[in-house]
Amino acid sequence: MRNRMKVARVEKSLTQAQLGKKVSVTRQTISLIEKGEYNPTLKLCISIAKALDRTLDDLFWEE
Amino acid sequence: MENSWLSKFLPKDEYKEKRMLYFIAESAIILATLLFLFVLLNNYSLYGSSNTGTLALLSLGFIVAYILLRYILSGIEYTEVTSEKRYSKEKKAIINRSFIFLILLITAYVLIDGIPSDITKIFIPLSSAFFIAFFMYFVSYTSLKRSFKKNKDILDD
Repeated sequence: MRNRMKVARVEKSLTQAQLGKKVSVTRQTISLIEKGEYNPTLKLCISIAKALDRTLDDLFWEE
Repeated sequence: MENSWLSKFLPKDEYKEKRMLYFIAESAIILATLLFLFVLLNNYSLYGSSNTGTLALLSLGFIVAYILLRYILSGIEYTEVTSEKRYSKEKKAIINRSFIFLILLITAYVLIDGIPSDITKIFIPLSSAFFIAFFMYFVSYTSLKRSFKKNKDILDD
């Protein structure tokens, strides 16, 4: 699943490890989601969106 | 995964958790296959003792029985049964299936061993066939009942 998580994370000045800590997952999981190699659960998507002050549409909706 | 005791031993990270579940499931399948091969070799070769063969068979039985039991009790088999009408229809289908299975078992026995000359000789295979057919009915009926209850609980009003 392609997403705009990496851009949003960099704009928020967070590292993958910091974001991972905020949403209680590992840096590896964040990296895999950003690369589109792992589809997170809706629960994790919402946590990430909240941590990055974005909506689900901003991060995950494919135009 | 919240409803399983296994979740207490899995990593909190959901990606790791999912991968670990796959690894555990893969190991169970490999173990079951190896046990099956061991049981075959043990029973049809001169090597090994009957005790180890029985133990392997029991272990294999446990793996199968545990998965079957959890599957039945979870109520995930009959996902479309949401009305009494459909429930009754499925119940009838289960009874029919079990009855057909009973007939097939008895037919298979007659075809393999022939028609028994003594009435006492038919008792064991016939009772075994009845037991297997009843077990099949019981498993399917329990699964249907649990599925119907689960479907009713989550039904959109």
